[in-house]
Amino acid sequence: MATVLGVSAHYHDAAACLVRDGAVVAAVQQERISRVKNDASFPAAAIAQCLRIADVDPGAIDRAVFYEQPFAKLERVMRSTLTTFPHGLSGFVAGMARQLGGRVFVLDHLREHLGLSRDQVMAVPHHQSHAASAYLVSGAEPAAVLVVDGVGENETTSIWHGTGGALVPRYTQPFPDSLGLFYAAITAYLGFAVNEGEYKVMGLAAFGQPRLEEEFAAFITVHDDGSVTLDRDTFLHMVHPTRAFGPRLEQRLGPARPFGRPWRLFDPADAHYADVAATAQAVLETALLRLARTAHRLCGDADTLCLAGGVALNVRAVRRVLDEGPFHEVFVAPAAGDAGGAMGAALLGAQDLGDDVQRPLADAALGAPADAARAQAVAASLGFAVARPSDLLGQAARVLDDGGLLAVCRGRSEWGPRALGHRSLLARPRPAAVQDRINAQVKRREPFRPLAPVTTRDAFDGYFGGRCDKLQRFMTVTNPATAKARRDCPAALHVDGTARAQLVEAASDPWLTGLLARTAEPVLLNTSLNAAGEPICDAVEDALLFLMRHRVAALVVDDLWIERGRR
Amino acid sequence: MSLWRRLVARLRTVGDLVGFFVRQNRLFFVPMLLVLLAAGVLLMLTGGLSYVAPFVYTLF
Repeated sequence: MATVLGVSAHYHDAAACLVRDGAVVAAVQQERISRVKNDASFPAAAIAQCLRIADVDPGAIDRAVFYEQPFAKLERVMRSTLTTFPHGLSGFVAGMARQLGGRVFVLDHLREHLGLSRDQVMAVPHHQSHAASAYLVSGAEPAAVLVVDGVGENETTSIWHGTGGALVPRYTQPFPDSLGLFYAAITAYLGFAVNEGEYKVMGLAAFGQPRLEEEFAAFITVHDDGSVTLDRDTFLHMVHPTRAFGPRLEQRLGPARPFGRPWRLFDPADAHYADVAATAQAVLETALLRLARTAHRLCGDADTLCLAGGVALNVRAVRRVLDEGPFHEVFVAPAAGDAGGAMGAALLGAQDLGDDVQRPLADAALGAPADAARAQAVAASLGFAVARPSDLLGQAARVLDDGGLLAVCRGRSEWGPRALGHRSLLARPRPAAVQDRINAQVKRREPFRPLAPVTTRDAFDGYFGGRCDKLQRFMTVTNPATAKARRDCPAALHVDGTARAQLVEAASDPWLTGLLARTAEPVLLNTSLNAAGEPICDAVEDALLFLMRHRVAALVVDDLWIERGRR
Repeated sequence: MSLWRRLVARLRTVGDLVGFFVRQNRLFFVPMLLVLLAAGVLLMLTGGLSYVAPFVYTLF
């Protein structure tokens, strides 16, 4: 019966997760508190938040677990430098400065921060953290686990056999051949920020045609088992600290797209970039599908595939694995990227101390609860109108049916990159122009970015095809839209006729299912509550700031109805 | 925690790191690592990395 803290930090998406007696009790990403998107710094605030939520004193922590082994990572940096000598020297200097500047001493930092002894702090392998974050909360037994990301210590892809709560390694692909780093390089080529713009590449892909297979074949080979070989002269992640690709990529695909240039998708130049995105997406899907088949072969008794690592956030690829792969079921945890590693690390630490940690994750609401009393006080000081309506759901439904945008900040915040109705911006999903309005006026982002629908189990099949299972609870897969969806909720569909639909059930979220029962259609548009370039709101102050700066009808904080108009 | 205890903890970690490379049969990394660590300590003692960092590249 242990209290274990898991931590991820120093690369991207720093986070903390607290597991008590084998159950996840709190999980918070540092960016939600620091308000710095993808914040990678040591997550002191996230740790404090987790301890506060669980009402745990730092002295009560039995073990703290870091999600990666710093010595093994350092060894890879040094080995890589020797392998590529003398080309990798600039990368080596930058890498060593980062490693010796703090990363190697991260366990010391963690120990000093929490006041723990040396034997209470440990590190687990990066890919094992990812694998645990999916398998141990999936509810599947046994399971095949596929981890695909940029790079961990040295692995870029790994397959694990999850059985009886243990993870047995079956396959690894080492650095530098990496599906995640390939996609990251294309992200950079298209003028997006790496570790942030990969979603944009996926969204852009639907506007293009995968017609550049021959060009791509010159720098990436996808083998029958799903492993990839990258051309060392095209991709620079082995030798350069900041550049993902070299001139050879531009010789093949044309000049890279300048960062920040506005998109005009019907312009031939941007249509070409959409084709690049479509081809990269097709390559990624092919590789992931083959890897799933390899996982099935290596873990013959498993009906379920658990996916983890940043690549598992590619919802289009997950759909293909589900439809065309050999597994009956696929599971993706709500935070599949590096933040999720904190949860995996905590679970592995608790398991090492003898706790039974294998239990399905019922809900992604693992962050801090909304503080309605605080919201009321701050809203009043700002001169906002605050009310506690007797029929809040009816009032919310009327606003939405009239075309208003409704911000909600209720209950505990979500774990992972998806807003699942606790820190969300809701809207009626028609007409189609609602999507453009939100993208242009609220999110201030590229016009091709899709928004997602949320609906109930009873209504799901009427609006969406494809299998409906655990994936839709955490919004980790796309579903094809039916004719009814194209008619009734066009603003929540992507241009390819699919949607990253969320399924909400009364048992886990009676408020949202209640609202869906009161609106004209049992489908709402649900997008994350955040301004352009900011992390999703967490505290009520963040939500009130959002209300202050955006044209939304009202903000709901638990049972409060807050409007910008003066009392 | 006192500076002295922190320094001792860091040195113990460096010892663990050297031990890690020895166990992995990566003995050839150890001199490289020690030179880099010594350079790192020297940089810190001589007034901070920010002044010296632009010249580190020229060392190679």
